[in-house]
Amino acid sequence: MNGTQKATKSDNPFLPEPARIVRTYPLTEDVNFFQIRIADMEKALGFSYQTGQFAMMTVLGAGEAPFSISSTPSRPGLLEFCIRKAGTVTNALFNLKENDLVGLRGPYGTGFPVDKMQGKDIIIVMGGLGAAPLRSVLLYCLDNRDQFGRVILLHGAKRPAEMLFLEEQLELKGRDDLECHLTVDSDDTGQWTEGTGVVTTLFPKLEGIDPENTFGLVCGPPIMYKFVLQEFLKLDIPKDQILMTLERRMKCGVGKCGHCAIDYIYTCLDGPVFSYWDVIHMRELI
Amino acid sequence: MDKILAKKSLTQWLKKLDGYDIYAPFPQDDTWNYDLVTDPAKVSLDYLNTAQAPKKIIFPQREVFLEFARTEDGAPQMTETLPDPAPFIVLGVRPCDAKALTQHDMVFAGEYTDPYYWARRDKSVLVGLGCATPPSPNCFCPTVDGSPHSKQGLDILLTDMGANYYVEALTKKGEKLLGAAKTLFKPPTPKDKQTKEKVVKDAAKKIQRQIKNLAEVPPKLKGMFESELWDQEAMSCLRCGICTYLCPTCHCFDISDEVKNAGAVQGERVRTWDTCQFPDFTMHSSGHNPRSDKASRLRQRIFHKFQYFVENHKTYQCTGCGRCISLCPVGIDIIEVLNKVIDHA
Repeated sequence: MNGTQKATKSDNPFLPEPARIVRTYPLTEDVNFFQIRIADMEKALGFSYQTGQFAMMTVLGAGEAPFSISSTPSRPGLLEFCIRKAGTVTNALFNLKENDLVGLRGPYGTGFPVDKMQGKDIIIVMGGLGAAPLRSVLLYCLDNRDQFGRVILLHGAKRPAEMLFLEEQLELKGRDDLECHLTVDSDDTGQWTEGTGVVTTLFPKLEGIDPENTFGLVCGPPIMYKFVLQEFLKLDIPKDQILMTLERRMKCGVGKCGHCAIDYIYTCLDGPVFSYWDVIHMRELI
Repeated sequence: MDKILAKKSLTQWLKKLDGYDIYAPFPQDDTWNYDLVTDPAKVSLDYLNTAQAPKKIIFPQREVFLEFARTEDGAPQMTETLPDPAPFIVLGVRPCDAKALTQHDMVFAGEYTDPYYWARRDKSVLVGLGCATPPSPNCFCPTVDGSPHSKQGLDILLTDMGANYYVEALTKKGEKLLGAAKTLFKPPTPKDKQTKEKVVKDAAKKIQRQIKNLAEVPPKLKGMFESELWDQEAMSCLRCGICTYLCPTCHCFDISDEVKNAGAVQGERVRTWDTCQFPDFTMHSSGHNPRSDKASRLRQRIFHKFQYFVENHKTYQCTGCGRCISLCPVGIDIIEVLNKVIDHA
């Protein structure tokens, strides 16, 4: 929230830090995976962030856009992003190659409260590009496995070819400390061995949920929130333990430009991670 | 510090202000607009109000954030372009427009300070001109906690007393400007003070328009998010955005890259004013738009000014200048909208 006091002038918050694409490859037809390292090694290692936060990425000449960080702070140095080719900046980004330079500033926004989530069971529900921010918290939980109770992943996509991190998650399925359920709306391959149906059809698979002891996390296309939140409520998960991360158009990332304003808050400062309480109290949120 | 300045001495005073750039209103076509003073003799404060608020001097409609260049085989270079202006005076600022700048100060401070804004703001000296007669038939500053002679945000306030200005230096910066031409400023007589008080009092009575009781609006709005009022009021909106572009308090902006040479990628990253009244203001690259209809955008404008901003900064984000009413091509009238909110069941 903006204070009315003028703080001491810090560095220019609008100036991106040069960064290099270390690795990029397609995850699906229109989504690429990017590994990026801030060029200045000291700054690269000093870039500390929380799961759920985002960064503004620059492609010079095309502009700047906000992207969720898909990597986990438990693996410092490299930042990972999962980006759909959709607008001016992403189209230009997809034309870049490994070792090309981009700009990065951030991290911005609120993260998932992993301290409060300690010792609790975690249900992560991702749909479509919602995998981008939630992969961060999923990997964080797995890297700090002894700090959490059950870790459950429910992941939905339209078709098998559109499921993000499919290989990574099929591999994770082999772990006995992760309950991983995948589903697609429709299987056009004839070779899909996981679930079929929208992501909420996976909820009946959950057994023995101890709601008071559970955090429910969701991110996906706008339509998905309402239905998944209903499922969390049906499970009696407390409203402050139902968390989601939201998308908004953003330009500055620092609470000035007004694009991401919802009610009296700015998604870039007070979000993108919100709880179900926020949904009740702030219209226009979902 | 109170003084009297003869109107005919204004030019002499301005000539003494060495080391400052001076911005003053000048007639351009059929409106008045702020411009840099090149000849102090041409400055006249005989105007109603400028078409655009002086916010554009401190927060320009387009400004360069950084310059960039990428050679064919080299690394891209980014060069920060922070402004470094000489100290400057903005002359004849109407009190509503000065108060609006104090609200910009709130927005551009906070957790992240905006270095581009403050580079100019810190160098500014605002010399206000009280409104002896309302500059517009749509002025309504008293009902938004202002007044035609409000001192808020000003360094000096001039009150028009016919042949003279009653000059009040309100800050150290303001006093310094009077110090530059000491002999031109006479101490006010008791009669001058009386005359000034009368001008101030009479001015407030001349305001023709008012919001019934603005204090009722913020709590009332809370229950009116789903009201049909927004659909009705937005029906005629053309989405032109002039209400926000002319607003002295609106601060929303866009950041984009302007390319001069595509081959080697050379250009500028610029900040430009933007408005919540444009459909693409909130549109995601997926095409999803949380505020896809004009009713929700008009509602956003009203809620932001009269509820959200009040919640965050304890003041209405509207200073009653009336520009949005006078210049809306379809006659959307913010006073009428707010009065309807107050009358709403």
